[in-house]
Amino acid sequence: MIEFRDVTYAYPESDSPVLENLSLRVEEGEFVLVIGPSGAGKSTLLRCLNGLVPHFYGGRFGGELRVAGRDPVVAEPRGMSRVVGLVFQDPEAQFVVDTVEDELAFAMENHDLSPLLMRKRVEEVLDQLNIAHLRGRAVSTLSGGEKQRVAIGSVLTLSPKVLVLDEPTSQLDPQAAEEVLTTLQKLNADLGLTVILSEHRLERVVQYADRVVYLPGAGQRPVIGPPEDVLRRVELTPPLASLAKELGWDEIPLTIKAGRRQVGRSALVSRLASSPSPALLEQEDRADTTGSSQIVDVEDAWFSYNGREALRGVNLSVHQGEVVALMGRNGSGKTTLLKQIVGLLHPKRGSVRVCGLDTSDADVHRMASHVGYVPQNPGTLLFADTVREELEFTLGSHSLPKDGYGDVVESLELGPHIERYPRDLSVGERQRVALAAILVANPEVILLDEPTRGLDYMQKAALARFLQDQKGSGCSVVMATHDVELAAVCADRVVILGDGEVVVDGPVREVMAGSMVFSPQIGKLFGDPRFLTVEDVLRVMGRT
Amino acid sequence: MKYHVLSWSLWALAAVLPALMTRNPLYLVIVLLAVSLSYVQRERRDGAPWRVFLRAGLFFWALTIPFNALFVHAGDRVIFSLPQQWPLIGGPITVEAVVYGLVSGLALFTVLLVFTTYNAQVSHHELLRYTPGFLYQAGLVTSISITFVPQMLSSAQEIREAQAVRGHRFRKLRDMLPLFVPLLTTGLERAVQLAESMESRGFGGNLAPISWRQELVRRLATVLGLISLSAGLFLSAYFREESGFGWALAVTGAVMLLLVFGAQGSRVQRSRYGRPRWDGADTLVAIASGVVIAVFAGIKGLAPMELVYYPYPPFSLTPGFNPLLGGVLLLLALPAIVREAVSVRTSASPPGPGVTRVAGAER
Repeated sequence: MIEFRDVTYAYPESDSPVLENLSLRVEEGEFVLVIGPSGAGKSTLLRCLNGLVPHFYGGRFGGELRVAGRDPVVAEPRGMSRVVGLVFQDPEAQFVVDTVEDELAFAMENHDLSPLLMRKRVEEVLDQLNIAHLRGRAVSTLSGGEKQRVAIGSVLTLSPKVLVLDEPTSQLDPQAAEEVLTTLQKLNADLGLTVILSEHRLERVVQYADRVVYLPGAGQRPVIGPPEDVLRRVELTPPLASLAKELGWDEIPLTIKAGRRQVGRSALVSRLASSPSPALLEQEDRADTTGSSQIVDVEDAWFSYNGREALRGVNLSVHQGEVVALMGRNGSGKTTLLKQIVGLLHPKRGSVRVCGLDTSDADVHRMASHVGYVPQNPGTLLFADTVREELEFTLGSHSLPKDGYGDVVESLELGPHIERYPRDLSVGERQRVALAAILVANPEVILLDEPTRGLDYMQKAALARFLQDQKGSGCSVVMATHDVELAAVCADRVVILGDGEVVVDGPVREVMAGSMVFSPQIGKLFGDPRFLTVEDVLRVMGRT
Repeated sequence: MKYHVLSWSLWALAAVLPALMTRNPLYLVIVLLAVSLSYVQRERRDGAPWRVFLRAGLFFWALTIPFNALFVHAGDRVIFSLPQQWPLIGGPITVEAVVYGLVSGLALFTVLLVFTTYNAQVSHHELLRYTPGFLYQAGLVTSISITFVPQMLSSAQEIREAQAVRGHRFRKLRDMLPLFVPLLTTGLERAVQLAESMESRGFGGNLAPISWRQELVRRLATVLGLISLSAGLFLSAYFREESGFGWALAVTGAVMLLLVFGAQGSRVQRSRYGRPRWDGADTLVAIASGVVIAVFAGIKGLAPMELVYYPYPPFSLTPGFNPLLGGVLLLLALPAIVREAVSVRTSASPPGPGVTRVAGAER
C-alpha cells in the first residue's frame, strides 16, 4: 500500500534533513504506529503520505514514494485526498464549516460527487463512527472526543484507503482519547483501512498496532518492527514495558492483562510481599507536609461563567513543599481553579487565600510575585526574539536584576538554546522556555496547566525531576493534568474534580490504588498502593 | 426547526425593508415585536455573542437620543435651553429632537435585531451553496474569517492573562508587543493548519480543462474589460461632455469582467450537498415575505408620503397609522407562529398511526 524508498527530505532554510534515506513498506490493512522524540520527523513523515510535504512546505525531497500506486509528489495533496485521509492534532483548527453534516460533506463537494452519493456516504460515516446523533450540531458545541471523531469522519467520506493521524489524542482527556482510539481500531479491523498514527502516549495505543516505526531523529536509522521488538530496542517506552525490560522478562507486555500473566509467571508478587521493606515505603518519597505552613487555602469557592457553574463549593489547601495534582475530565473546573489561585478570576462566593493574600483584594501583579502560572499553551507567553530576552522580560516586569536567570537555565537545560528564537524550538523545548520564563521570578507557588501536552517520555521524566527539585527547595506545585503517570511519579496528593466539585482529595497512593480511571500502568498491574511507578518496584526489590 | 435558507433570507429581507424605509414608530414597533418572536425561539447554543451584539445595539439606541437632542435645535416644544454661546450644543432642547432621536435609534435597533435573528438561525455554509460559483471561494474565506473573530478574541484574552500573570503591565502602546506578537503567531499557526486541512480534503481542485484558445480569449477579455472599465470611469469623471459615452464604456467593461468571472467560476467542478428541505412552512413564509416586500415597494413608488414620519414642524409629532400596512407587517410574525405550532404538535403527540404531521415537522 505504501512504499518509501530512500526518501530524504529537508525543510527550506534547513541544512540537515529531517528524514534521511528512509525506507519503509506498509501492507494494506496494517495499523502502524509512528513514535519518536519530539522533533524527530513524525509529522513530516505523515505529511509526505498525502504530498503536503513537499507541496505545502517546499524544501528538498529525494527518493521515491508510492501510496496506493500513486506518487504524492506528482499528485499533490488534492490529488491524494481520495486515497489518503489526514487528521490533525488540534480538532478546532481543522474545521471549515459550522455544522457536523456539512463538515462531513465538504471534501465530497470539492470532488464534485453527486448529491445522491454524498447523501449515502454521509449516512454511512455517521453510523460507522457512531456520531449520527451529532448530525445537526454546530461543531463549536462538541466535546473534544466528538470533534476528533467528526474530523475523522470528514476525511472518511471520500473512502480513502489510508487514514493518517498526527497525534489525534494529544489534546484530549483520557476518556475522549479512548473514544477516538477504539474508533480507529474498529475502522482498521472492520473496514481493513490502513491506519498510520503518531502518538506520544504509547500506553494508550501500542496494543492496537501491528508494527511500530521509531524515528530517533538526528539522522539516525529508524527502528521498524512488531511492537514488542521495537519497545525492547528503544528507550522511549511506557512504564509497563520499562518494568519488563528492567526485570528481564522474556516477553514485553503491551497490555495490563499480558503484564499480569508475566507477573504471575515470574512469581513477582510473592517476592515483593516477602521483601524486607514494605514498611519502608510508607515513610519514603511522598512528603508529609501536614506540619508545614499552608500556602494556598481555597475555602468554599463558587464560580460561574455566563450562568454555567464551573466551581461549586471547592475546598483545597496546599502546604509548603507539596505537589498537588488536579485531575478530572475536560471541563471539570481544573483550569478555573488554577486561575482562581493566581487571582485571574475571583470567587463569587467563598475565599481564596494564597501566601497570606486574599486574591479578591490583591491585584494580579501583586499575586504574580508569589505565584507563577504556566498556561496550557506555551505559545501564549512567547513573543521575544531569543530565549534570553524572554527571561529578561519577566525579570524586568518583576523589577528584578536582568541577569538573574542562571540557575533556571541550568536546571531546565536551556543553555544551548539561550540565543535561539523560542518558536523555532520543539514542543518540549518550548514548554521548558515557558516554564523558565515564569520560574525566573522565583515564585513560591507554581501552577501548571497540562504541562505534559506534546512531551515524550524523556521530556516528561525531565519535567518530573525538575518538579521534585522545586519541591525540595520549598516550592509548592499545583498542576492540572490528565497524565496519571506524571502524577504517579511526582505528586504528593491527588485532587479529583468532577462537575466543579472536589470528588476525591487524598494522598497519591491511596487515591490511585483505589481508582479505576486515575491509576498508572504499574498501579493497575499490582493493585497495591505501594507500587505506582517502576521505581517503586525496583526500590522494594533493592535494585536502585 | 429551521427554515430553508432561501425562505429565511426572503423573510429577513422583508423584515429589514420597512425598518430601512420608514421612521414611523408604530410600524417599527410592529416589526420589532414580530421579529423578536423569532429571536427568542433561536437555538440557545450560541446565545452569548448575539446577546453582546444586541446589548451594543441598545447602547447606541440610548446614545442617539441625547445626541440628536443636543445637536438638533429645531422644533416648537422646548423642554429647556442651553446657553447660546456654547458651541454646537447651545440652544433649545426640544421634544421633537428627543422623539426623532428615539425613533432613529429604534430603526437602527430593529435592523440589528433582524440581522441577529437571521444570523442565529442561518447556516452560513448553506447560504454559500446558493452563491454563484465564482464567488464561492471569496464567500468561504469570508465565512471562515467570521468564525476566526471569536477565536482571536478568546486567544487575545488568554495571552493578556498569561502576560499579566507574568508580571507584565499594559500601560503604553509599546507594552502591547507581548500581546500582539503571540496573537499574530498563534493566528498564523491556526491559519496554516486550516489551510493544510482544506488542501488535504481537495479544496480548490478540479478545474475543468480548457483549450489554449479559450484561455487566450479569457485573458484578452479580462484585459479589455479592465481597460474599458477604467477608461469609461475616467471619461465620465473628467470630461463632462463625454460622460454618456464614458458610462456606456464602463458598463461594457464591467459586463465583460462579470462574464469572464462567471465562465471561470463555472469551470470549478464542485457539487453542492444539501437535502431538498423546502416544505409547506417555507412556502407560507416565502409568500408572506413576498407580500410584505411587494406592499412596501409598491407604497414607496406610488404613495411615498404614507411612510414618512418627521416630528419637526410643519409635520405632526403624532405618527399616522394605516391599519392595512400594520396588518401586512404582522405577517412577519408568521415564521415564529408556525414554528411554535410545529413544536407544540410534535411534542404533544408523538407521530404514530393516525397522527397527521404538520408540514415542516419532518425535519
